[in-house]
Amino acid sequence: MTGDALWYEAAQVVGITNALNVAADTLDALGPVDDPTASSAVRELFAEMREFYQGDAVPPGFRFIVHDPAYAAEVWAATRHAFTDHCLARRLKEALAFAVSVTSRSTSGAAFHLSEMRRLGVGARGVMEIVGVTQMFSSYTKIADTLQLEPDMGDIAPEDPSPAPGGVPRGDAPLR
Amino acid sequence: MPTVRLRAAAEYPPSSQKLFEASRAWFNYDFAQPPAMSRVMAWDVEFGGPHGRAMKRAMGPGEFTRAEKEMVAAAVSGINSCEY
Repeated sequence: MTGDALWYEAAQVVGITNALNVAADTLDALGPVDDPTASSAVRELFAEMREFYQGDAVPPGFRFIVHDPAYAAEVWAATRHAFTDHCLARRLKEALAFAVSVTSRSTSGAAFHLSEMRRLGVGARGVMEIVGVTQMFSSYTKIADTLQLEPDMGDIAPEDPSPAPGGVPRGDAPLR
Repeated sequence: MPTVRLRAAAEYPPSSQKLFEASRAWFNYDFAQPPAMSRVMAWDVEFGGPHGRAMKRAMGPGEFTRAEKEMVAAAVSGINSCEY
């Protein structure tokens, strides 16, 4: 898992998953938008999601944020990009999203991403592996926080010298 | 600043040195001192031993590689806002 591109992708998945869980788990008061009452723009958006997830499911958070279809369309574009196979496989991205959802106590997010992991071929053992990692690091992190431990393992990982996508390699930038 | 004084490896009994050896092997890295978390776990081997074995079982290769699991662990740490 070397190279910063992998970590940028992982960060996108973590961020957008948390954003969708926040909406899904807190916005009941807004009322979800269901298919029969949805505008044509929202129905089109839901159709794109169903194609992406190859099923009837729509990520729960979207049912609330589609009250502003233009906003939801941008969030969906970011979500679809984050979860598409690039450097990381979609299977791992769903595992990351599941771990994020469990850690943040998002019942709806955990259920959605567990379903996606299974759809993408993760078996019972694989699910429990992610549960184990999530649980153990929910222990280590709280032990570290209680004792206010300072980071001391940063030197293990090598630094990625490559530039940002499309950018100039380090040291080759023109002098001003 | 840590809440406790982290002891140097030399201040631990022989039973804890086994945990430090396991930590060095796990990370495949020659630390000047074992990582702070390893030294915390070595304080009480009756907790640190089974906790560490559970971690190794969870992190070992299976349907997901260890590298993939390290990424999941980093995500969990981020959500828990853990700087360590």
